Amino acid sequence: MEGAFEILKLFVLNAVFIITALIFTTYLILTIFSAISLRKYLRKNSYVDYNSIVASPLAPSLSVIAPAYNESETIIDNIRTLLSLYYNNYEVVVINDGSKDDSLEKIIKDYDLEKVNYYFDYRLSCKRIRGVYKSRNRSFKKLTVIDKSNGGKADALNAGLNVCRNDLVVSIDADSIMEPDALLKLVKPFMEAKEKRVIGAGGVIRIANSCEISDGHIRKINLPKKFLPRAQVMEYTRAFLMGRMAWSELDGLLLISGALGMFDREIVIKSGGYNTNTVGEDMELVVRIRRYMVDNGLNYDVVYIPDPLCWTEVPNTVKVLARQRSRWTRGTMETLITHRKLFFNRKYKKLGILGYPYWLIFEYLAPIIEFLGICWFIFLLITSKLNWPFFLLLFGFVYFFAVSLSIWSVLFEEMTFHKYERRRDVLRLMGTAFLEPLFYHPMVMLMTIKGNIDKVLNRNKWGKMERKGFGKN
Amino acid sequence: MKLRETYLGLVLGLILATMGAMATYGQVADSISSDSAMVETGQTVQEPADVLSVYAQRLLNRFDKSPLLVTILYIVILYSIVTMITLLIIILIHRGRLKREQTLKDYLLEKYQHLLMDYLFDEERQEEALEELNRVANNRINRQILIDQMIDLSVNLKGDIKEAIKILYIQLGLERDSLEKAYSRKWHENVKGFRELAFMNIRDANDRIARSLNASNDILRMEAQIAMVRLSDANPYEFLDLLKKPLSLWEQVTLHELQIQHNLPVPDFKQWFNSENTSVVMFALEMVGWYKQRGVGKEILGLFEHEEEKVRFTSYKVCGEIGLKMSLPAMIKKYPEETFKNKLEILHTFTKVPDEKYLKFLKNVLDTEEDVQLQIEATKAMENTDEPGISMLIRLMKSKSEYKNYQIIIRHVLDGRIY
Repeated sequence: MEGAFEILKLFVLNAVFIITALIFTTYLILTIFSAISLRKYLRKNSYVDYNSIVASPLAPSLSVIAPAYNESETIIDNIRTLLSLYYNNYEVVVINDGSKDDSLEKIIKDYDLEKVNYYFDYRLSCKRIRGVYKSRNRSFKKLTVIDKSNGGKADALNAGLNVCRNDLVVSIDADSIMEPDALLKLVKPFMEAKEKRVIGAGGVIRIANSCEISDGHIRKINLPKKFLPRAQVMEYTRAFLMGRMAWSELDGLLLISGALGMFDREIVIKSGGYNTNTVGEDMELVVRIRRYMVDNGLNYDVVYIPDPLCWTEVPNTVKVLARQRSRWTRGTMETLITHRKLFFNRKYKKLGILGYPYWLIFEYLAPIIEFLGICWFIFLLITSKLNWPFFLLLFGFVYFFAVSLSIWSVLFEEMTFHKYERRRDVLRLMGTAFLEPLFYHPMVMLMTIKGNIDKVLNRNKWGKMERKGFGKN
Repeated sequence: MKLRETYLGLVLGLILATMGAMATYGQVADSISSDSAMVETGQTVQEPADVLSVYAQRLLNRFDKSPLLVTILYIVILYSIVTMITLLIIILIHRGRLKREQTLKDYLLEKYQHLLMDYLFDEERQEEALEELNRVANNRINRQILIDQMIDLSVNLKGDIKEAIKILYIQLGLERDSLEKAYSRKWHENVKGFRELAFMNIRDANDRIARSLNASNDILRMEAQIAMVRLSDANPYEFLDLLKKPLSLWEQVTLHELQIQHNLPVPDFKQWFNSENTSVVMFALEMVGWYKQRGVGKEILGLFEHEEEKVRFTSYKVCGEIGLKMSLPAMIKKYPEETFKNKLEILHTFTKVPDEKYLKFLKNVLDTEEDVQLQIEATKAMENTDEPGISMLIRLMKSKSEYKNYQIIIRHVLDGRIY
């Protein structure tokens, strides 16, 4: 008994260190898996000729669903980008989610739209659809615009799912910029499927701040000038090229970013569509469709593509970033609570044994533990009980390991897609890797804590994302 | 991509970090030795066990923590620093190398382009161009760039000039490189080799390619299929008889595009309707639909009873594409027992093969089905029969049914703006 108590005491005393070491070990393993997966992907895809499916009559038809709320500034250009993607057989469904600005009026005017007698049912529940619009101009025949009462992003996506007709749906933020070949790359895993049915595919989201953009296309890729978005570039590179790539290899992927994802419409509808009661509808959907497949004994796959497929503007100010991170935290909490049955549940295989516990411990709980660690540090500092040599050693351990992980992700980017052509940009990105743990990371940790508090206090707002608009970059 | 360097960096980082830690340990041990030597006069050499325990004691005194823990932390810090420096160097070297490779490639591409033009179109300079090509393409990298250039060039050429490129390819001994790749133990090399041989129509490695037709590696298998299709004269799709692995939609699309691009002979695809490989049956069905191959009615009707839902789906679809009216009564029979997706396809076929004889069936679908898509598809099929169908729809619109809002459905279908 005494021995057990001693072990417990030892664990409690070293809890922060143990968890940190566990996190770092996990990251190291994920880095290795990610490298394997990237190598496999790039080698495999270096022989692919995507042009063969551009006009193939055998290629599946797709519906691109883009919800928009107060996007008046960018909506016209973004629809133009969506209409000019390299793919033959697709429709674009834009959902005006009760915008208070003149988004709808602008779209109607620019694309010569008129209300049509569109028949659909509310198979997935959503707020009232006020009308469906089509263009008089046949060159915009791919475009359908839905005008509905405001109900949030998930609600708008459900409306889009009710109206669209194709087997595969692509959900995209109307304020993001898709790479012209994004659909070709996303549809490929669905077309390659054999024994397993592919139910979802996601790709890398890149940061468009400071990039040169015209006519809804990225013309020149630049690293953001301001530190805040630049730190997010570092964060996204690490998350997408290392984290998600590895989880895809391990078959434990829980999240396909809401900015861009392709799904099997039938499975999405059968599993109930997007959950309108959460602010993390993207993650919740992936977890739910995966659960649906396991519960029904169906073989499936969720695929992740490391190619940069979509560009988005990230928060430029601390205030907006705080709102976004609070929402992400609440979304993660809601999904983890809703699907708590997965926790170490062997029925769900890697999803239950690896994916869910990882998200719970390392993505959700880690910032809380980190925060408690900092509180403990402050307490020791105040009470003059701080072991300075050990603190510095521990700090060096955390700092240098974190920086080295970031540098790994820069290397992955360099060896794979090499998007930042200027040497100066890469060196600045590496410089950001050194500054990020000192300035950006603690700030994000506090925002995550705020997200937890917001959730507990039931402050469940989506949070407004203020965008400069791509044209103004 | 050269991810090999990343592994190298990781291993190197670990080795250097461990060496760093050992060096730290050595310094500590040395200092302990000299301290001890000063304290314990006459005893200049320490026993290793003592060194360790004194080292541990010193760490314990300094950090008030387990010496093992402190040592691990030291190692991780050193590992991280060494890794960072190593990766930084790798990134910079990689950038430089990429730039150099690109410069060389640009130079060679321009050089080869001129020489190839001289060889192909200037008889006087042909010999000279051949010699120069032989001289420049003197290593593996340069030869690979030349092969790629020749393939790019031959894609857009036909007839004698294409044949001249093939002769040059052989004269320069480049086929040896391609064969070497085809017989390599690395799959990605095989893929390159298969592609090059297929482009140059060299059949010396056909046995090797045939062996890869059922390879477990998807890419290798697909490339072997493509190469076999291009390198077979009589029946390019003969390999379908041997195929045990499923033919994915991606592979089907690639083969179909190949067929169109190279204007390959089109076989009678119904010969594969009885294949045990379901994906081969589906591909054959798709091709029958695409090439509008007739005289397949009886065989397709047989596939309506296939156990696989997707095979039945494709057979309904193909009936629509080839306008097979005789299949419609059989589809009406199958309709009640079919899955939603197949029901929809059956109705879609009625749209593509309009026949007023089946208006009653379609009206019945419209009345009984609750699903919007099925209702719309049935209405579209009715509309496509022209006068009789449209009159029926107009009558329905005017009628006031209590259980179905015909007006909304029919307005949707008749709205020309909804494509």
